[in-house]
Amino acid sequence: MIPILHTERLILRPYQRSDFDAYAAFYKSDRTAHIGGPLSEKAAWALFAADVGHWQLHGFGWWMIEHAGAAVGVCGLHHPPHQAEREIGWSLFDGSAGRGFAYEAATAALGWGWAYDPDSGIVSYIDRDNVPSIRLAEKLGAIRDDRHPPAHDALAVTYRHPKVAA
Amino acid sequence: MTIPALMTERLRLRAPQAEDFAVYQTFFADAVGSGNYGGPLRPDQAFRVLATDIGHWALRGFGKWIIVRRDTDQAIGGCGLSHPRGWPSAELTWWLLPDQRGVGFATEASKAVIAFAYQTLGWPIVETHMRDENKAARRLAERLGGSITRRAQFPDGVTRDVYALPREKDARATAADPKPVAGL
Repeated sequence: MIPILHTERLILRPYQRSDFDAYAAFYKSDRTAHIGGPLSEKAAWALFAADVGHWQLHGFGWWMIEHAGAAVGVCGLHHPPHQAEREIGWSLFDGSAGRGFAYEAATAALGWGWAYDPDSGIVSYIDRDNVPSIRLAEKLGAIRDDRHPPAHDALAVTYRHPKVAA
Repeated sequence: MTIPALMTERLRLRAPQAEDFAVYQTFFADAVGSGNYGGPLRPDQAFRVLATDIGHWALRGFGKWIIVRRDTDQAIGGCGLSHPRGWPSAELTWWLLPDQRGVGFATEASKAVIAFAYQTLGWPIVETHMRDENKAARRLAERLGGSITRRAQFPDGVTRDVYALPREKDARATAADPKPVAGL
C-alpha cells in the first residue's frame, strides 16, 4: 500500500518499528527547533505514528530514507488541514547531512508526488532562517512564492516546486 | 494489518478513517470536554491525533476504534487500547462527545474492548490509569469492576493509580469486517 522508491544511493520505504530509535534521537536534539522539536520520547512516537497514519488519511505520506541498510532521515508529502497545499518535507538524522541525501530523496518523492496527483501544487513551507532547507528547495528548482504566504505560520515562507512530467 | 469491527448492543466500533476528522475536530475544540485529553486542540493538532491513532494500529497491532451509534450511524467518540513508546504500560482509553455522555456508551464500548484484549489479543491483564483529578475516568474504571493494583510515577512526572480491569464473564467480542490499514 505504501510505495517503495529506489534512487541511486537510497531506498525510500515505509517506516519500520526499528526505525524509531533513530527518529526519537533526532527529535531529541535542538536541530529539530525548526520543525516543532525537541520532543520527548512519547511525543516523538506520537509524531512517528502520525507520519505512518497519514498514508491512510491521504494516500501519501512519509518515507524512511535508508542508506546502506541504515535509516538516515525522512522525506515525504503531507497535507494537514491548516495548510493550503500539500507540502514536501525532509529531515536528515544526525551525521547524515551534507551528502546530498535530502536532494536525492526529495527528487524521488517529488516525482512520485506529481505522478500520484498531477493537478495539485507541491510547496515547502520553510522557516525564514532555516537556511539549509531554503538552499535545498532552491536546488530542487523551487521558487519563493510570496503571493501565497503560509497563513498557518508567520515565521515561514512558501517555496513552490516546479511540476515535473511523470 | 487489518482492524476488525466490534459490535455491541447499541454501538459499532470500527477503524478510524479520514471522515472521522470531523468528530476529532469537534471533540478537541471543546476545552471542557477535552480537558482530560490534552485539549483544547486546534484542527491541525486534532488531525495529528487522528493520524497518530491510525498509525498506532500499524505499529502496535492494536489501537483505538471509532465509536458509532448503531441507531443514528453517528461517530460519537473513540475507545481502545493505547501504548505509545516512552510510556511504561498499555491502557484502555476512551473519549466521548460531551452530549453523548451519561448513558453508558463508554462502559459498553469499554467492555467490548476489554473482551477483545483478553480473548483475541490474549493479554494477561488489561489496565487503565488516570490522573487523580480525572473523576470520570475513575468512576468508569470502577464501573468496569477495576481495582487499583499499584500507584506509579509516569515519565511525565505525574503519579497515577493503575487499575486492573477484570474479564467480563458475559461479554463477548465479536470481531468482524476487518479493514486494512496502510502500514509497515
